[in-house]
Amino acid sequence: MLLKTLSEAFGPTGFEDEVRNVIRGELEGRVDEMKTDVLGNLIAVKGAAKPGPKVMLDAHMDEVGLMVVQICDGGADAGLLKFRSLGGIDPRVLVSKPVFIGPDRIPGVIGAKPVHLQAPEERQKPIPMEKLYIDIGAKDAADAKSVVKPGDAAVFATRYAEFGERAAKGKSFDDRVGCALLVEAMRHEVPYPLYGAFTVQEEIGLRGARAAAYQIQPDIAIALEGTVCFDVVGAPSHGQSTVLGKGPALTVQDAQTIADRRFAEFMWETAQRHGIPVQWRRVKGGSNDFGAIHRIGKGVVGGSISVPVRYIHAPTQVVSLDDVENAQRLLQAVLKEIAEGSFTL
Amino acid sequence: MKEWIVRLAGEIAPSGSEGRIASVLLDAVQDLADETHMDALGNAIATKHGDGPHVMIAAHMDEPGVMVIDIDDNGYLRVIPTGGLTASETAFRQVTFTNGTIGLVCLEDGEKRPEQFDQLYIDIGAKHRQEAESRAFIGLSGVIGGSVTEVGNGRLLGRALDNRVGCAIALQAFRDLAQRGLHVSVVFTAQNAPGARAAQAAAFALEPDLAIVVDATPASDVPGGKRTALQLGAGPAFKVMDAGTVAPLAVKQLVEDTAHALGITLQYEVWPSGRSDTGAIQLTRAGILAAGISYPVHTAGAAEAMVDLADVEATLRLLVASVQAYRK
Repeated sequence: MLLKTLSEAFGPTGFEDEVRNVIRGELEGRVDEMKTDVLGNLIAVKGAAKPGPKVMLDAHMDEVGLMVVQICDGGADAGLLKFRSLGGIDPRVLVSKPVFIGPDRIPGVIGAKPVHLQAPEERQKPIPMEKLYIDIGAKDAADAKSVVKPGDAAVFATRYAEFGERAAKGKSFDDRVGCALLVEAMRHEVPYPLYGAFTVQEEIGLRGARAAAYQIQPDIAIALEGTVCFDVVGAPSHGQSTVLGKGPALTVQDAQTIADRRFAEFMWETAQRHGIPVQWRRVKGGSNDFGAIHRIGKGVVGGSISVPVRYIHAPTQVVSLDDVENAQRLLQAVLKEIAEGSFTL
Repeated sequence: MKEWIVRLAGEIAPSGSEGRIASVLLDAVQDLADETHMDALGNAIATKHGDGPHVMIAAHMDEPGVMVIDIDDNGYLRVIPTGGLTASETAFRQVTFTNGTIGLVCLEDGEKRPEQFDQLYIDIGAKHRQEAESRAFIGLSGVIGGSVTEVGNGRLLGRALDNRVGCAIALQAFRDLAQRGLHVSVVFTAQNAPGARAAQAAAFALEPDLAIVVDATPASDVPGGKRTALQLGAGPAFKVMDAGTVAPLAVKQLVEDTAHALGITLQYEVWPSGRSDTGAIQLTRAGILAAGISYPVHTAGAAEAMVDLADVEATLRLLVASVQAYRK
């Protein structure tokens, strides 16, 4: 299953090679052209010479991760790894989680002082990232240095699994779920030029998408995302952002974009016409690649279609497979209606 | 001028909802412009072809506001800010939405003072969800503040004066320069308040030889005023620097010489935390010659501001004469 393969692939920000290779393999022979640009974005093209609006679909390949910054040399901590985050990670989700370092997947565990030894005041607040370390079971610094170097990146060692009623758990659904949607979309035929941009370095500031949009210069762009969902304990309706199982979410405003209202309504009405559940993403925080894309060149019309992801940016994230399926249906319906001229530029 | 300011400030245009004021502004230049259009990001653009270098005059037409993100069973709304409004300045005030719905911004019971928008709710007088949904929807935007009033000493107070004053100046400057046969474009920019997001797209499309941005700058002649030397009523200010730009010295010289020739006292804006369209335009394509001429206000970037009409008149004269004096 593609979502499982993508979810388990190693791809922290700046280290997207493995994810890119999976996608390239999936699209080989199914698109006219694929190229990897200088930043590492993979751009797949179909029907570049066709008439009609140039449509760009976007999904970022990178995931939040950790980067090793120091291998402790002497004393009791010899061979332990100090690290920093790549992208926004709440340090409270890190303690005692298994990780893989590098594409060779050196296994490690994030360690911290056990509760028995913590002073009362230490127990009152979360352990900051500076006090955490990755333990790879090395016997000393030389042993650790033989397999890990500063600058190596790590991801959570979470396996994909389906559970409960049409739910899946795994790491990096943000944004491998978008990658899976985009791979599927690129396999279909549309009567206008279609560009699929699998981008890098979204998690540290939408960095890859800018270059991708610059070279594509699209007329319409749609970012495919996994987005924040907190429909659980104690969250009032205005604090949820999205609700799991209620369908793909459309943005009204986030930290980088005020939605193009006309395009957002076009997508909303398309969902209604095709009987696809849809909801608004109702929070200002967070953003996606469309925030970078819409400001390129003379400006780009478009928006985003997001799959709600519970526990986003954490080691184990949860999606509804119905939401994933409905996001795919909505994307296909939107692409079809663009072909039929339902949205005029 | 005052009539135009009052009329433009009467339009409700929170960032991202500039369509209506864009039409008003383009209608006001239609008779002189060779081309007008609205671009993908909501900028309103008019060009008059003519002699000499192509000069772009820009002024943002949007204002900070709020956007509905939730409607509850009892008919109350929840909002997030659009642009730089804080929860504390929004609380206990009336909000007017772009569709005409009016409500009161209230603070949740038990909260001492508003610090975050999720402590606020809006009462539009609806008795239940269904009624509220007939008057509001998720994504609907609105603004805070009262209409423009003249408060004496030729000073105006009211909502959206930052930057409808700039729009009125840019509008009049474009009309004047177009009638003189110069090659000039005016851009009423969208989405400035959330961080100058749209101006660069217009500059990218127009590729002007020079861009001059008209915007408000905070005067410091107030209690606790920050360390700038700007005074309300003391004339236009040349933007030496803000958070997104340092002015090209050639343009500074041009504006200084022009002010001197006109007998206008020039102030200097140094606003390390301000983010105007100037920087966004300057860094477009291979770089565009861009600078800002600002009018001082009391409270910039907030829902309401105070301006001095004498500053407005002088800013307009300085802008028109500077463009006329510009040689490539």
